[in-house]
Amino acid sequence: MTAAISVAGLTRRYRGHRALDDVTVDVEAGSITGLLGRNGAGKTTLMRIVAGQEFASSGSVRVFGASPVENDQVLRRMIFIREDQAYPDVKVGHALRVASWLHPNWNGEVADRLLADFGLPESRAIKKLSRGMRSALGIVIGLAARAEVTMFDEPYAGLDAVARQVFYEWLLAEYVAHPRTLLLSTHLIDEAAGLLERVVVIAAGRVVLDAAADDLRGAATRVSGPALAVDEFTAGRPVWERRRLGSQESVVVAGPLARESSVRT
Amino acid sequence: MSTWINVVRYHLVSRVNYLVLPWGWLAFAFAVDIVIFAFIPVGHHVVPTARGIVQVQDDSGRYAGGMGAIVLVFFAMGVQSVARSLPFALALGVSRRSYYTGTALLAVTLAVGYGLVLAALQAMERATGGWWLATHIFRVPYILDGPWYLTWLTSSVTLALLFAYGMWFGIVYRRWSLPGMLAFIAVQVAILLAAALLITWSHAWPGTGHFFVTLSAAGLTGLLAAATAALLAGGYATVRRATV
Repeated sequence: MTAAISVAGLTRRYRGHRALDDVTVDVEAGSITGLLGRNGAGKTTLMRIVAGQEFASSGSVRVFGASPVENDQVLRRMIFIREDQAYPDVKVGHALRVASWLHPNWNGEVADRLLADFGLPESRAIKKLSRGMRSALGIVIGLAARAEVTMFDEPYAGLDAVARQVFYEWLLAEYVAHPRTLLLSTHLIDEAAGLLERVVVIAAGRVVLDAAADDLRGAATRVSGPALAVDEFTAGRPVWERRRLGSQESVVVAGPLARESSVRT
Repeated sequence: MSTWINVVRYHLVSRVNYLVLPWGWLAFAFAVDIVIFAFIPVGHHVVPTARGIVQVQDDSGRYAGGMGAIVLVFFAMGVQSVARSLPFALALGVSRRSYYTGTALLAVTLAVGYGLVLAALQAMERATGGWWLATHIFRVPYILDGPWYLTWLTSSVTLALLFAYGMWFGIVYRRWSLPGMLAFIAVQVAILLAAALLITWSHAWPGTGHFFVTLSAAGLTGLLAAATAALLAGGYATVRRATV
């Protein structure tokens, strides 16, 4: 495995708290990696530091083997679209044109088709766009740029279910047509699960899980139903999470279920 | 180099800000000056004498402050060139260094181009006898009062200076918001105050006055150019650790 992004012992301290605490993670070149975690876990901070937008307190970040900080050689091969991406006061078409100048692999046809699929008018001023439309614009730019390292922070914030589906389909199609290293943060784990080859979970600034998505499938099972039945069924298994609402219960247990038990009624 | 050019093109996407506003604003100020002076008769000073009031024709002309408009616009352009456009440039993989260099390149290019237009307007003003109203809008006594190439040079340097000054303001605001900007202004006032006190204590006011009075327009332009370079260096040092 060759790492496109290599983070070692990365710590970012802000006054009073550690946004990132000794994070060590490698992102394989030519893969789709999901960065999962709750709000405030440190996903955005990690990506900002990898993109050279923020500075590390300690530790090292290497992209293509070199530090990305103020390094044009590395930065011009990267793109990082944030959830709260700020744009200058211009029109959608202008922003796309600027991105096309700065990214040599820019594909105008992909951009046009994405715009059409999202129903995003090129002549609209960016500041007039709704939350979801702004996210869509970020997706268009991030995918059409075909940068070797492409990072999305919560790319579908504000997008409706149909638009999210457009995003997932395009992400896979573009990844196949033009392989690159994709890193996206998300908390819609269920929806994105099918896309991801690798999953990195961070909580309170620390990496708590870093595994291939295939290894994780079946690592846990959710059992729900009448509380008494659920308790009987899950007795003796390690329970990760237990939620109760009235007489109904939902429990997450470790490990896959044996075949005969999954057909038991 | 190509990244710098692309940063320049990135800024110029906001055509209105850089190409339309300065001239629109200047045209407005020009119109205001012309209207005002059109209603004031040329150079008739009334002077009371012992045997009645006489009118004295004054040929030196009148000066208007319309030029101040474009200078202000350059300051504003400098501020927003960083405050609004930096995050998207960094998102697209431009380093702060390239962004700053490209923006400074834009500042110098605009200043030189617009300085030339101002020199041309001054020449027209001279040819028309002050727009047929003995009015000097593009001629500023002592500073912009020489041959066209000196006007070009001095106005270019002045515009670049204002842009660089605004740019530094924009970067300071990006990094430290309003408290930082107020501190930035406070430091500048403190430096001026310290200089004034220093001159007072060393009884150097006559010398200082003499220095500025005898300074030629070209010498002043040199000073302004040095100040521009200092402002650009300050902005560069500040942008290197800016985060978005």
